[in-house]
Amino acid sequence: MSSARDQASPTSAQAPEPDLGRAYDARLMRRLWDYIRPYRRDFWLATACLPATSAFSLTQPYILKLTIDRFISTKQAAGLGWMGLLFGAAVVGEILFLYLQYYLTMLVAQKSLADMRVEIFAHVQKLDARFFDKNPVGRLVTRMTTDVDVINEMFAAGAMTILMDVATLLGIVGIMLAIDWHLALVSLALLPVMLLAINFFRTRARISYRLIRERIARINAYLQEAISGMTIIQLFAREAQAFREFEEYNDAHRQANHWSNIYEAALFSLVEGISSISFALIVWYGGRRILGGALAFGTLVAFIEYVQKFFVPIRDFSSKYAVMQSAMSAAERVFQLLDTPPAITSPEHPRVPEPKRGRIEFDHVWFAYKGEDFILQDVSFVVEPAEKVAIVGATGAGKTTIIKLLNRFYDVQRGRVLVDGVDVREWDLNALRRHIGAVSQDVFLFSGTIAENIRLDRTDVSADTVRHAATTVNAHRFIERLPEAYDDRLRERGSNLSTGQRQLLAFARALAYDPTILVLDEATSSIDTETEILIQDALAKLMANRTSVIIAHRLSTIENADRIIVMHHGQVRESGTHRELLAMGGLYARLHTLQTRGALAEMPHAEQSPVSTADARKA
Amino acid sequence: MRRLLTYLVRYRGRYAIGCFCLLATATLAMAVPYLLKRAIDEVAHGGGLRGVSFYAGLIVGIALIQGVVRTFSRALIFNVGRDVEYDLRNDLFRHLECLPLAFYQQQQTGDLMSRLVNDVTAVRMLLGPGVLNLVNTPLYYVYGVAIMLSLDPRLTVAALLPYPLLLLVVKHFSRKLMEYTMRVQEGLAELSSRVQENLSGIHVVRAYAAEERQTAAFAAINERFKQQSMELARIRGQLFPVMRTASSLGTLVLLWYGGGEVIDGRLSLGDLVAFIGYLNLLAWPTMAMGWMLSILQRGRAAMHRLDHIFTTEPAIADAPDASPLPVVRGHIELRDVEFAYRTAGNGHPILQRLSIDLAPGQMLALVGRTGSGKSTIAALLPRLYDVVAGQILLDGRDVRTLPLAQLRRSIGFVPQDPFLFSTTVRANIAFGVDSPGETAIHRAATIAGLSQDIDDFPRGYDTVVGERGITLSGGQKQRLTLARALLPEPPILVLDDALSSVDTRTERAILTALEQEMGGRTRVVIAHRISTIQHADIIAVVDDGHIVELGDHAALLAHDGIYAEMLRQQRLEEELAEL
Repeated sequence: MSSARDQASPTSAQAPEPDLGRAYDARLMRRLWDYIRPYRRDFWLATACLPATSAFSLTQPYILKLTIDRFISTKQAAGLGWMGLLFGAAVVGEILFLYLQYYLTMLVAQKSLADMRVEIFAHVQKLDARFFDKNPVGRLVTRMTTDVDVINEMFAAGAMTILMDVATLLGIVGIMLAIDWHLALVSLALLPVMLLAINFFRTRARISYRLIRERIARINAYLQEAISGMTIIQLFAREAQAFREFEEYNDAHRQANHWSNIYEAALFSLVEGISSISFALIVWYGGRRILGGALAFGTLVAFIEYVQKFFVPIRDFSSKYAVMQSAMSAAERVFQLLDTPPAITSPEHPRVPEPKRGRIEFDHVWFAYKGEDFILQDVSFVVEPAEKVAIVGATGAGKTTIIKLLNRFYDVQRGRVLVDGVDVREWDLNALRRHIGAVSQDVFLFSGTIAENIRLDRTDVSADTVRHAATTVNAHRFIERLPEAYDDRLRERGSNLSTGQRQLLAFARALAYDPTILVLDEATSSIDTETEILIQDALAKLMANRTSVIIAHRLSTIENADRIIVMHHGQVRESGTHRELLAMGGLYARLHTLQTRGALAEMPHAEQSPVSTADARKA
Repeated sequence: MRRLLTYLVRYRGRYAIGCFCLLATATLAMAVPYLLKRAIDEVAHGGGLRGVSFYAGLIVGIALIQGVVRTFSRALIFNVGRDVEYDLRNDLFRHLECLPLAFYQQQQTGDLMSRLVNDVTAVRMLLGPGVLNLVNTPLYYVYGVAIMLSLDPRLTVAALLPYPLLLLVVKHFSRKLMEYTMRVQEGLAELSSRVQENLSGIHVVRAYAAEERQTAAFAAINERFKQQSMELARIRGQLFPVMRTASSLGTLVLLWYGGGEVIDGRLSLGDLVAFIGYLNLLAWPTMAMGWMLSILQRGRAAMHRLDHIFTTEPAIADAPDASPLPVVRGHIELRDVEFAYRTAGNGHPILQRLSIDLAPGQMLALVGRTGSGKSTIAALLPRLYDVVAGQILLDGRDVRTLPLAQLRRSIGFVPQDPFLFSTTVRANIAFGVDSPGETAIHRAATIAGLSQDIDDFPRGYDTVVGERGITLSGGQKQRLTLARALLPEPPILVLDDALSSVDTRTERAILTALEQEMGGRTRVVIAHRISTIQHADIIAVVDDGHIVELGDHAALLAHDGIYAEMLRQQRLEEELAEL
């Protein structure tokens, strides 16, 4: 890490650094509009509120002027009440439309962004396994939450109010010119100075914003890495060095912020100062004209008010600009994700074989996860309906890949995978997967109740079916003992259940699914004998009358299979019944000797180390 | 909150100056409406141009001074906020460095990150803009009200009539706002954990064709979140207008009542304009009140979450009376060692009554099946965990009496999971030392069997390995971590199944090189291929936390127990792999 300062790249766990791009991008805006379109009535209503709000706001100084000129100066106390009411009405009008505008905008924003979230979610569901191999979960979560939230900010604090600001500014200039164009010019005499100054500070502020973003990204990247690798830092007693590096990043970030604070403070003060000076100009020039009888008092007061209203939006413009910029880059990232085409989809005209009998055929299948590194090489075999086949072989022989191809999690490079005589690529994806029940080695449980986990959100699975499935696979007994039985909520995705219990739950899940084909990756972890017997019994029931493909690790499972396929280095090396293969005296016979010998059948290929890093553990 | 105070106190000097500047700014700000009044009164009484010009000039002067002072006050206080942020991050990082492995196993990296990033920001907001407004708001109120009272007490009371009501409304709103904000935040948390879970289990979702149902379930949560957000938007939308009403109602009262006073001659037109000016000055602090309340609440909540880190005791640290060994020879002794991950009785023991004596320069091999406790033994040596009972001695001294830095520097540890930093190959190898010589780096790489690979890299030793070594193969990563451990030439080497992704032939070559180059060092090796550790001085077969067989290769073979059986199986496996 000693030279990490040179190339601390943002880690994948965080969103890539938003480059300070444009604050307005017509192409992105058009796409965003697609989400607003269904709620366009509210949107236009909200937009219509903008000029109304401005109008009511800008009437107020004018009423002030009228009051002073028509009533106070002429000493007509009788009309004051009316003017007060009129002013009150203008205030109420402004507030009402302001509220309406904000509320309607947020309504539209929340509705359209909720749609966007669902669309992203649904889209990600369709993406294939390769996509997930490349994209960390954290990044995808960020797309759906943080990024969408940033776009929301644009609605809340950016685009819409910028429109209102423009309307207000134009309105003020128009009114002032209409009332008295001489005074108007004097009042706004400092505007060019202000614009120049704002431009000066904004350019600098923008540079320091970019620095700040770069530097906070470095801090985050460094933190992420340091936290994940804290054990290594500690093991090498490099705490002091790591701290020095961190401090350096931290300090650089602080420095950049100091400068940006100074620019912002200067900008803020400048606007306030210039508006004060403009007051002075108004009083000075207006005063002369009043003394000369050419101007009414009310106009003077009204102009002071108008100038005040004029400078506020100018002051806030830069922060709104920044909001727009981040919103644009967030939208860019979101759309990029939405534009990622799912590599594995149902064909337009899927073929649905009837009847579904459950025949599997691998026909000269070649497959590689990466490049030309073939995990499966020319694999061919057939599993007949209701046949029980055990696949055996050493780690890395390609067993798990077979299951993934059967489910069409990945597409083969060469050859074909056929289910009931139809290439899986010609099947409707859902129909195919509905046809195949898969149980993986590490059982993934969702937070929710036991029943929900067996049912997996399906409404057509009745409570009886759930119970029946659980009973059949011997899970009913332990479920009954839970405080709330089937309605018991799993804690931390079932960490309160034992490995064996999780296995049984997965079996119940598969049984409730009632697939024609069962594919199962048998768990390697050791389980106590009693549970082991339950599992073996459950497995037998689960496989009954189903085409079953099992990546077998247990001798009993292997011996009970109708046929055994021996995989080795990505190839099918032997195939036959237990007896036949033993008699052959080949690979299987040797594997079998290995398996039958002693308790240490599974060698520690992937022992969970206590010295592993945070991320690896949670992966 | 006490911790927060210590940071405030640390910067009390600059806060004081900042607050003084705020006071000055407020004073100058308050002068402007008054000067406007004087100027207008001058005009109204036909006082002539000189008076008007004088006051206008004064306003310009004040505006200029104020500009400087205001810039100063804001920059100063916001920068103090940044300084506190900087300190806070440093302190957090330093504290995290002291926390043991067990802490990191319970804590998600993402959660820690969020504390160090988001919560620190919330605290900074409180100590920067929060403090500024906290000082400014009362200042403006006291000043403004005082001046208005001096101009016309009755009009002041009338104009400020809506304000007490406003306080009640703010109080009501801030409670509601807090409640709704919390609800929305919880909703968001639910939303993201739902997504997180779905994506983590996407293979199950896909296998069971549950995509649509999952989407429907997500849509339901999303809908709830939308409703919550809309309610929050409603409350937020109301708050701002209500705040605006107060100051505008004040103006209404001024027109009505104040206008009458002017007509009756009890009040000058200038006074009326000044009043309008003061109400305008009060409008922003009033509106900022609600915002400030939420900053205050968020800052406190964030500090609370940071305190959770700060109050976690570094369970494994130097003993107060720790003293270094003059020279580390590498004599390791495990004496009746017991260990359990959860100390509070309920954790089932991982290691039980373990005793091994390893002379300096000897090699100990630990074998046994998954979960037997081998890696735990390795982790106990550099005190990644502390033993629950018994002792681990280094050169006759309990490791807990040694300075942690010395103990850990004496042990070259190669973990199972090869963690690399996203920097160059060279920097990764040199991670453990301050100023490594190029030859030493090359030598370490050579012993680890990596130099050939490095030469093949496009940029050699300057190749950036990418995040967590993503650009390297498993075997390369492992050999890199080995080289990293070798470079400081520690007296003790611990290899925790460190070559599992390396093929048998390479593993053998590396171990031979290690033997030749590092022969004089004490070694503890966990390996999954028995053939590679046969020549160890002591081989311990660990099973279920016990040492079940102990001796050298010949003795264990003669014993014909688990070890002998493992060896036979592996021979067979190796044969199989050769096919």
